[in-house]
Amino acid sequence: MSVDERALGALLEESNDLQSGAMRSIREPLRELVERGQERRAHGGLDPDEQRQFTTERNRLVRSRLCGTGAFATLGFGAALLALFDSPAFAVGGSDVQILQTAASLENLAVATYDLALTFDFIGGSTAIPTVKAFAMTTKDQHDAHAKAFNAALKRLGGKEQTAPDPVLLDTVNRAKATLTGPGPVIDLAITLEDTAAQTYVANTSALTDKQARNVTASIMGVEAQHVAVLLAVKALVGANLADQVKLPPDLALLPEAAGSVGFPGAFYKTDKSRPAEEGAVT
Amino acid sequence: MSAGNNDPMPVSERELAQLTGDMDDMHHDVMPAMHARAEEWAELNREMRSGVSGPTVHVTSRRHFLMGSGAAVLGGLALVACGSSKKGSSSATSSTAAGSGKLTGDLAVAAVAAALENLAVGTYQAGLDAATGGTLGTVPPAVTAFATTAQQHHKDHAAAWNSVLTDAGKHAVTAVDLTVKADVDRAFAGVKDVGGLARLALSLENTAAATYLDGIGVLGDTGAIQVAAAIQPVEMQHAAILNFVLGNYPVPDPFSKTEGARPTDDEIGAA
Repeated sequence: MSVDERALGALLEESNDLQSGAMRSIREPLRELVERGQERRAHGGLDPDEQRQFTTERNRLVRSRLCGTGAFATLGFGAALLALFDSPAFAVGGSDVQILQTAASLENLAVATYDLALTFDFIGGSTAIPTVKAFAMTTKDQHDAHAKAFNAALKRLGGKEQTAPDPVLLDTVNRAKATLTGPGPVIDLAITLEDTAAQTYVANTSALTDKQARNVTASIMGVEAQHVAVLLAVKALVGANLADQVKLPPDLALLPEAAGSVGFPGAFYKTDKSRPAEEGAVT
Repeated sequence: MSAGNNDPMPVSERELAQLTGDMDDMHHDVMPAMHARAEEWAELNREMRSGVSGPTVHVTSRRHFLMGSGAAVLGGLALVACGSSKKGSSSATSSTAAGSGKLTGDLAVAAVAAALENLAVGTYQAGLDAATGGTLGTVPPAVTAFATTAQQHHKDHAAAWNSVLTDAGKHAVTAVDLTVKADVDRAFAGVKDVGGLARLALSLENTAAATYLDGIGVLGDTGAIQVAAAIQPVEMQHAAILNFVLGNYPVPDPFSKTEGARPTDDEIGAA
């Protein structure tokens, strides 16, 4: 078999030129497509049914490609990331405005719930553990600051501010009210709200297309996670009849061994309880 | 998706742009390999013509040649198609040879992150060794539980960051951030009790959290952002408990900070 090496080299060059030419021709329409998509999403222009269809189809393809080809078997971080992809949050398809409105709604609910908790004597009154009372007050203020930050990000994107609470979780809080007869159930409810917020923001951080909205969200997710850590530690101490050790600092020698790790139950923050993007959107 | 129907395309515009960019990067990555294969083929051809290799030489067909050279592209595309987590920051890798050279972009962030995690693992180990050795005085079980669990988390985090590197064809970082280690070593020399160790650990946790928050603002690859977002809150939790132990308010700021974030030009090397 004879080969014209010069012709082969020319073919390769031609292939390279073709690729470069194709890339030049595709770049501009692609940029326009991205801009149109971002604009559409940023202003909440997605039809909910279309969004659900997108999410379902995307999940099906991602899963079939990951699992069907076995590609993940060769990936070191595969299991952990597959778990992340399995969770609904990483399939969030909502607009940035919807995502931010839902985030603000979670913060509004948190503020209202801490407000409610502080009306109970065992949280905000004379029988309260002082550290718990201080935590509830400070945390309420921090959530208020978060709500303002999300609403400021919303305004920047031209979206409507969200001043109402998340409707689904509001129902959870309303149903729990009758059970809030002591610190334990209040702490449990607070953990639920804080963890849900943290998980939602972890998921939103990679879903948001607007960089500033992403940065705001990312700067809040870790703080909610800290609230969770403190509440888990307080719950463990109260549960072990060590409420007197809910103080700064505690007497380390009196703490049970588990108290050292109860505040951070996983190496990676989960997203399986994150709220859908449109749940708290302004309609 | 079947041709000729009006089903929505199950890929976002951003992903499409990234996929196209990745495809172009891979094209440029694979061109040197194609040239090399062409050289080999030409050499083989010359040998055949001169009778050196004789009739047993296996002649590569044009189709085989193109498929062989294109395997890297196809493999890369398969991974890209697996989802954004596997896109592997190809834009950052295209300018560097696999496993060598100075890393840029997402990969530089991942390398410093892995080095910080490795440093945290080593520092917690040194703390646990000091506790076992009795140089920290009485160490309550809760403190040991904290250090052991946090250390394991940091091992997992290092593996996660390294997966960003290895998935892009780079070597995993097993070394530590030497720039930070210099400060850690100085501080550790003065650690005489549990409180001192907790203060040192708090400094490391805050540095890691700040670095990842800062990284989220600059990372381009969705998968790398997901890694940072899943880890940063956990470092913040470690910090909250350490603050609690030290008698500080455990959630001192309403917003996480980027102050103290490590730059990507930190020196990385063996401890």
